[in-house]
Amino acid sequence: MRRLLPMALVVLLGVAVAFALGERYHHRIFTLVLVWATMGLAWNIISGYAGQTSFGHQAFFGIGAYVTVLLVVTARLSPWLGMLVGALAAVLAAVLIGLPTFRLAGIYFALATLAYPLIFRIVMDYLGYQEVSIPMVRDRPAAFMQFGDPRVYDLLALAALAGTLLLSDWIEGSRLGYALRALRANEQAAEAAGVDTFRAKMLAYMLSAAPAAVIGAIYAHAILFVVTPEAVFGVLVIVQTLVVCLVGGIGSKWGPLIGAVIMVPLSETLDATVGDRLPGIQGVVYGAALVVVTLFAPEGIYWRLHALRRRRPVGERAPAMAKPHAVAAPPGRASAAPGGTLLEVAGVSRAFLGLHALDDVSFTVRTGEVLGVIGPNGAGKTTLFNVLNGFLGPDAGDVRYRGESIVGLRPSAVCRRGIGRTFQVVRTFPQLTVLDNVMVGAFAHERATAAARERALAALETVGLTSRADDVPSGLTTLDLRLMELARCLASVPELILLDEPLAGLSRDGVETMAALVRRLRESGVTVVIIEHTMYAVVPLVDRLVVLDHGRRIAEGAPNDVVRDPTVIEAYLGKRWLRHADGLRA
Amino acid sequence: MLTVSGLSVSYGGLHAIVDASLAVGEGEFVTIVGPNGAGKTTLLRAIGGGVAPAAGRIEYRGADIGALRAHARARLGIAHVPEGRRVFPSMSVLENLEMGSFRPAARPQRAESLDVVYALFPVLRERRTQLAGSLSGGEQQMLAIGRALMARPDLLLLDEPSQGLGPRVVELIFEAIAAIRRARRLTILLVEQRVVEALELCDRGYVLETGRVVLVGERDTLLADPRVQHAYLGT
Amino acid sequence: MAAADLAQYVVTGLLVGGVYALMSIGLALIFGVMRVVNFAQGDFMMLGMYVTYFLALAGVDPLLGALVVIPPFFLLGVLVHRTLLVHVTGGGDAQRLMDAQLILTLGLSLIVTNGATMLLTPMPRGIRTAYATHAFAVGGLLLNQARSYAFAMALVLAAGVYVFLTRTDLGKALRAAADDPEAAAYQGIDVRAMHGLAFGVGIALVAAAGGLLATYHPIEPTVAVNFIVLMFVAVVLGGLGSIPGAFAGGLLIGLVQSLTLLVLPFQLQNVGVFVTFLLVLYLRPQGLFGRRLRAV
Repeated sequence: MRRLLPMALVVLLGVAVAFALGERYHHRIFTLVLVWATMGLAWNIISGYAGQTSFGHQAFFGIGAYVTVLLVVTARLSPWLGMLVGALAAVLAAVLIGLPTFRLAGIYFALATLAYPLIFRIVMDYLGYQEVSIPMVRDRPAAFMQFGDPRVYDLLALAALAGTLLLSDWIEGSRLGYALRALRANEQAAEAAGVDTFRAKMLAYMLSAAPAAVIGAIYAHAILFVVTPEAVFGVLVIVQTLVVCLVGGIGSKWGPLIGAVIMVPLSETLDATVGDRLPGIQGVVYGAALVVVTLFAPEGIYWRLHALRRRRPVGERAPAMAKPHAVAAPPGRASAAPGGTLLEVAGVSRAFLGLHALDDVSFTVRTGEVLGVIGPNGAGKTTLFNVLNGFLGPDAGDVRYRGESIVGLRPSAVCRRGIGRTFQVVRTFPQLTVLDNVMVGAFAHERATAAARERALAALETVGLTSRADDVPSGLTTLDLRLMELARCLASVPELILLDEPLAGLSRDGVETMAALVRRLRESGVTVVIIEHTMYAVVPLVDRLVVLDHGRRIAEGAPNDVVRDPTVIEAYLGKRWLRHADGLRA
Repeated sequence: MLTVSGLSVSYGGLHAIVDASLAVGEGEFVTIVGPNGAGKTTLLRAIGGGVAPAAGRIEYRGADIGALRAHARARLGIAHVPEGRRVFPSMSVLENLEMGSFRPAARPQRAESLDVVYALFPVLRERRTQLAGSLSGGEQQMLAIGRALMARPDLLLLDEPSQGLGPRVVELIFEAIAAIRRARRLTILLVEQRVVEALELCDRGYVLETGRVVLVGERDTLLADPRVQHAYLGT
Repeated sequence: MAAADLAQYVVTGLLVGGVYALMSIGLALIFGVMRVVNFAQGDFMMLGMYVTYFLALAGVDPLLGALVVIPPFFLLGVLVHRTLLVHVTGGGDAQRLMDAQLILTLGLSLIVTNGATMLLTPMPRGIRTAYATHAFAVGGLLLNQARSYAFAMALVLAAGVYVFLTRTDLGKALRAAADDPEAAAYQGIDVRAMHGLAFGVGIALVAAAGGLLATYHPIEPTVAVNFIVLMFVAVVLGGLGSIPGAFAGGLLIGLVQSLTLLVLPFQLQNVGVFVTFLLVLYLRPQGLFGRRLRAV
């Protein structure tokens, strides 16, 4: 409940301001602060938490306004109900827009979102809704959201703000929030950690469309009275939204509020005082705010303050590496018999632009073993992992896990089936603490935040990183980063772990620590496939080796035999070395 | 001519190079070998200016070039054949070569340089109007080397010229490197996985393993040292 | 009769499309070399229109004016790159940088649009020329003279850009920097300077296109809004960053706009354009003509 206290204070303060203000004009400014803060919060859900920059969020604002007002005009439906219809319509629109658009990445997403409000604008113009006035209802004004007292509009907007704050707060602490922040930081790593990124983005989009529609409807009744396409679908709507979010700070529920409290009164006052003489002053101020913020404080006010508060003296920390603990056996899943086939790779081929990265590769992974995959540069090792965990589909062949084909599954689904992976270059979620990073993985099987935290802490304990739980990844050593990534993977309770060069960049000590951990994992019944170049470490660590060269499997067997295999030596050092080495020996 | 001391490079929290030092004398051919992941490419990129080191000093002809951006180093006469060829795919072969002689010191001799490169790699002349992106891997490698020669460099950095190429093409490339070496007493720093081919060409070599220099020596010493194989295969 | 109508629509569309093509290649050049989507591109076009307008008041023919604006706008572009964009390009987290670039250029666009409103008033203005109201009659087709001249000049300027990019060392260096910035730097090409050059040329081109547009289109501070989206569409149609692609995309938009009139009422003219845009984004994000994304 302590979490709710600041929000309660904001609401109380809002009520106090609503009753303290006298002039109608001041109420108007106050209502506008609340409107843009709410709209900013709505945008923040998809573009802040989820990081999908939308330049078309006014589409939902406008849908809310138009649907509500048109229902009053045509059907005499109370805006209190109409608002809900508007919100539903906006959510539906979000689904229809999101379905094709979330397949696009980065710049394409931002560009595509531009088009929708423009289309709505043109269509509204065409349908003859260039100017829709809200009809005065004299008999039951309250039922039609028409009030003489400006305080009521303040409170109405305040209620919308409070609701959106609560929604944002819930998202921040929920499984969805973790999923969104993870995918914002690194979409592939999030997928590999079990986050269905498409579903998470879609949910966030729907949740951000509804409050935008509600506040659009309130804006129409409190401020506009006459709804025009320009006023609700226009560029200025998204600009005000962006400005309050960027100035205040993206990705936190307080940012848009802070931004609105500063920017809206400033621009309104300027508009009122010099707006007659300088008609574009508001736009210039907003534009200047965007430029200045981008250049000098790209993180926004909230995060600046946040960083100041967090800058506490760095105390003595326990050494990061405690003794690794035993891994709890994955619960809730019948463990396969040791020695049986866990994963079967059958005739897998994959080509890029005619180049065979994988060429008819077959091998099996037995339950409980540590299997090493080695090979020179460009042998296709990482491509193999990408096929195994679902990042890539094979051109031919099949991958069977516990007897079932996993080809075509999303990486998140592969992860939830029990195959975890790490990356050659550690993929962290930099804004999240170590614990939160690991919790993203824990959510693969836990819905509740508390349970996920528990599981994440256990995984951190396993790798010996408990003392670093509250740090952010940027301060970690290479070894700690690799351990954190492994903990994230373990938190998703994998049965099979794919480790992509886990020893790269580690010192000898680090290599020992990691190798010891891998052995412990095997003892606890986890199966491990490991890509590695650090041969002195990998040979004693693995039970078997598979060697790839130019996308083909050239050798397989016991490690000490494989590294003496002439084919393998040739692949690594060339035919000449082989002859040369024979000469040396002779 | 080139002195690297105490160089460390890390990205994404990973230490790719740890405290590496090496020297290349005027007219010398130095090879760096080591298994992949050893940090060879990162070392070369740090010298060329493609990545910023976390620590260390890079001196070229007695001057610290650590603060110079990549293009400024290129203008001093350091030509870099990057890993993976990195030709300009949407430009023709000829245009790629012309870009090699972009640096003002090389521009006036463009026509002669072009003749030299065409003599070395006749296939480039045949394909001069073709888009570089449509060349085969071996031809792209020839183009990348040719492009570097167009700069009339004093120091040539060669990064994994054999990578991803078939055995016959590899032979051709190494022959070309040997020919370049014979024709002009160019200073060359070569990074390679293929031990024997690379070491046989050089005067001196370094063996890199997991970001550290583990072995230094003259060509013949290294070729006879079983620790080279150990660095690759642990045996 | 219907065939003649169709031909008239096609010709009208192509004439308008020529100017769209010129403004779009500026945007494509900037994106191709810098990977920056410049929201303020339309505003520089608007400024180009105004400068041409004031030159016309001083007696300079707008077709000449459109050429005169090129050098000062080139310098303006270089200056904007030096002072603003250089801080949000080159190195760093790609997603963050992209957001920063979009927001920065959006802010710039707001300042320019509204600054122009403040200084020049929202009143629409126009340049009166003899050729704006006359048409060439070619085999039964009517070609508005202003649009025909503008089209011809746009073609000449676009050809000039093409020659610059394919025949000069500097132009080739620009393409090299777009193809592979790191490899370009290894050839001694100063990639940051290439960014400045690309931005300067891109701005100069769109300003010139504005000057041409001013011969037949009303001039007002908010004129950018309609055109910036058309430019985006053209650039996406052509495959982000491809200059010949953007040129073809611009022509195509003119055609789509014109042909939309055959089936939809005038107010919905741009719906055809936006729908084409979304379809291309969804079905062929690499553009109608491009095979690769990274190509100028």
